[in-house]
Amino acid sequence: MRSLGGGLRVGAAVMTLLIAAPVLAQGPPAEAAAAHLTRDRYAQGWKADRAYRTAWDEYQAMKASARGGAKMTWARLPDWTGLWTHENGFAVDPDQQGRTPTAELTPEYQKRFDEKMARVARGDEWDPLSACLPAGHPRWLVEPFLREFILRPEEAWLVTEQNAEIRRVYTDGRGHVPEDEAYPLWEGDSIGFWDGDTLVIHTNHLKAGSYQRQQPDHSDQVETVERWRRVGPDRIEALVAIYDPVALRKPWRVRHTYGRVTTPNLRINHWSCEENNNVVQTPEGSSNFILPGEKGYKDPDKPGPSPSAPAAQP
Amino acid sequence: MRKLPAAAALAALALAGSALAHHSFAMFDPSRTITVSGTVKEFQYTNPHSWLIVVAPGPDGKAAEWAFESEGPSTLLRNGVKRSMFAPGDKVTVQAWPMRDGRPAGALLSATRANGQLVHFRQGPPPPGVATGG
Repeated sequence: MRSLGGGLRVGAAVMTLLIAAPVLAQGPPAEAAAAHLTRDRYAQGWKADRAYRTAWDEYQAMKASARGGAKMTWARLPDWTGLWTHENGFAVDPDQQGRTPTAELTPEYQKRFDEKMARVARGDEWDPLSACLPAGHPRWLVEPFLREFILRPEEAWLVTEQNAEIRRVYTDGRGHVPEDEAYPLWEGDSIGFWDGDTLVIHTNHLKAGSYQRQQPDHSDQVETVERWRRVGPDRIEALVAIYDPVALRKPWRVRHTYGRVTTPNLRINHWSCEENNNVVQTPEGSSNFILPGEKGYKDPDKPGPSPSAPAAQP
Repeated sequence: MRKLPAAAALAALALAGSALAHHSFAMFDPSRTITVSGTVKEFQYTNPHSWLIVVAPGPDGKAAEWAFESEGPSTLLRNGVKRSMFAPGDKVTVQAWPMRDGRPAGALLSATRANGQLVHFRQGPPPPGVATGG
């Protein structure tokens, strides 16, 4: 086995290089991207404090500065075609250093976060996604898997492969769903407008949830203002302001990027988390597997009885 | 079975970010890497995660089904891992981070096919917050 191990080390190095080439070809080096953004005045000012009381106020201010937004036409739509994937890990703020989020949390939500991380330190970590629930926005922003951004003049679809979660952004001038008809939704209710080639989005009516397993929680009062645009041939950027009067003491301003994926033949396909999920929550609140051959294991070829299948005979 | 820390330490690329999309990492022990040689029973090329099922001696020395978890197909394809690479009956040598509870399973790092090809399933360090010491 020793000679095999040595061979594996060399082989691993070669494979790493082989894999590195196509990955790096998917976008400019990080330094070049950072330099590009440093030149961008809007990105420079993004993290600065702004005197908006609510996400809606900020959205309205942006809309006013864009003179209401330009009526988008097929000819003027920017080209966001292709496949993309999130580039910045799992933190809500990719600039996070270490394990402490950059959010300024209210005392209650700071306590909740501290308790969550104490559970993580004990190895007790559970993710609602393990029960095949959607990630939902804003967590939607940081999830892996493939993305597509499908643009029409009157509507944009922001698609992630994970659980086929689609955010529909209405850019036809309509307002939000009336308050007396609204209810909390995984992706919320999103309306937007075009400021040149930048898509500005306001989202409300979201569910309470968690930004990620090792990130803070948010309330159902969370709202976001996003500015999406293509910043290079192989990168799309989202500048996001998160407002949550229950959980955040001030808006959380974060920047995410999505890099082009060029793997040949790759497509977004529909899938259900239920088709092969044997993750279960332990009595301690942690996560574990049911393994093949163990009681309760769901074979991926037979995930469950067909609704039309005859009842089993006793 | 033999520890192989170099296989994990070598890799440094960002595909780690695509790992662990839908569950905690708490059940794995990334401070250790195990090597398991056996025969492929099934390659479940599925979402949200793929699994390589291998028949090999278990922790007690008796034949066991080992279950090694990896990413979903779109992430594997980006990494050059195709469904056709692992057919039932193929000989295979797997490197993985083992389960903390000792059951025959793990987080799939790489697998050497019968033709000698080393296939990487996962690059990069464990996710934040996962203890790697000791």
